[in-house]
Amino acid sequence: MIAIRVDNKGRPQFEPDPVIEAYKKDIDRTLLRENLKLTVEQRFDQLMALQRFAEELRRAGQAARRKR
Amino acid sequence: MTDYRALLEALSKEGVRYIVVGGAAATAHGSARLTLDLDLVYQRSAENIARLARALEGASPYLRGAPPGLPFHWDEPTIRRGLNFTLTTAWGALDLLGEITGGGSFEDLLLHTVTLNVHGIECPCLSLEWLIRVKRAAGRPKDLEAIAELEALLDEQESR
Repeated sequence: MIAIRVDNKGRPQFEPDPVIEAYKKDIDRTLLRENLKLTVEQRFDQLMALQRFAEELRRAGQAARRKR
Repeated sequence: MTDYRALLEALSKEGVRYIVVGGAAATAHGSARLTLDLDLVYQRSAENIARLARALEGASPYLRGAPPGLPFHWDEPTIRRGLNFTLTTAWGALDLLGEITGGGSFEDLLLHTVTLNVHGIECPCLSLEWLIRVKRAAGRPKDLEAIAELEALLDEQESR
C-alpha cells in the first residue's frame, strides 16, 4: 500500500506529480465541462455510442485493408 | 460493445455486492475517454460469490483472450478458487476484481464510494478522489494520461 495523505473528510490529498502535470496541460477541459453537464446515465449512453462508433470504424478499416 | 445496463441489471437482480471502478467509474465522473469494459470490485463473502455465480450464469462468461474449449465453468467453486477475473460475456467485457492495488477489497473501498443511479439501478461507484488514488498506486504508464484527466475533472468539480 502506498502512503497518501488524507484530509479530515477522508479524501486523499495528492502531491503534484511532474509527469501527470505535464499530461494535464494537454487535457481538453471543454470536453470535461460538457460531460459534467450530463447526467451519469447520459454519460454511459454516450460511452456506449462511442463504443459502437469505434466498432464500426474498426470494421470499416478491416474492410478497406482487405480491398487493397 | 459493453451493455452496461444489462450487466448492472443482472447483478442488481441477484443482489450482488460490488463497486464500479476503473474506466466506467471515470465515465460516471465525467471522463471523456473511451473504455471498453466494466471493472467491478466484488465482495468475497460466500453469499456474494453465490449471487455472482447466479447473476452471470445466463451470460456465458469465459476467460477473455483464452483459447476456446478450456474447461472453464462459471460457478461458485471457480470464483472461490480465483480472485480477479477478466471475462467476456454475452453483454460485453467484464473484469471482476477481488481486490485492487492501492485500494484493497470491497470492504476497504465501500467507505469511499458515491451512489450512482443508472437506468433505475443504484450502484456504488468509487469516488473520484479514490479513483485517482488507486490509479496512482497502480503505477501503470498507460494510466498517466487518464490520471491527468481525472485530476483535471477534480479541479473542474471543485471550481463549480
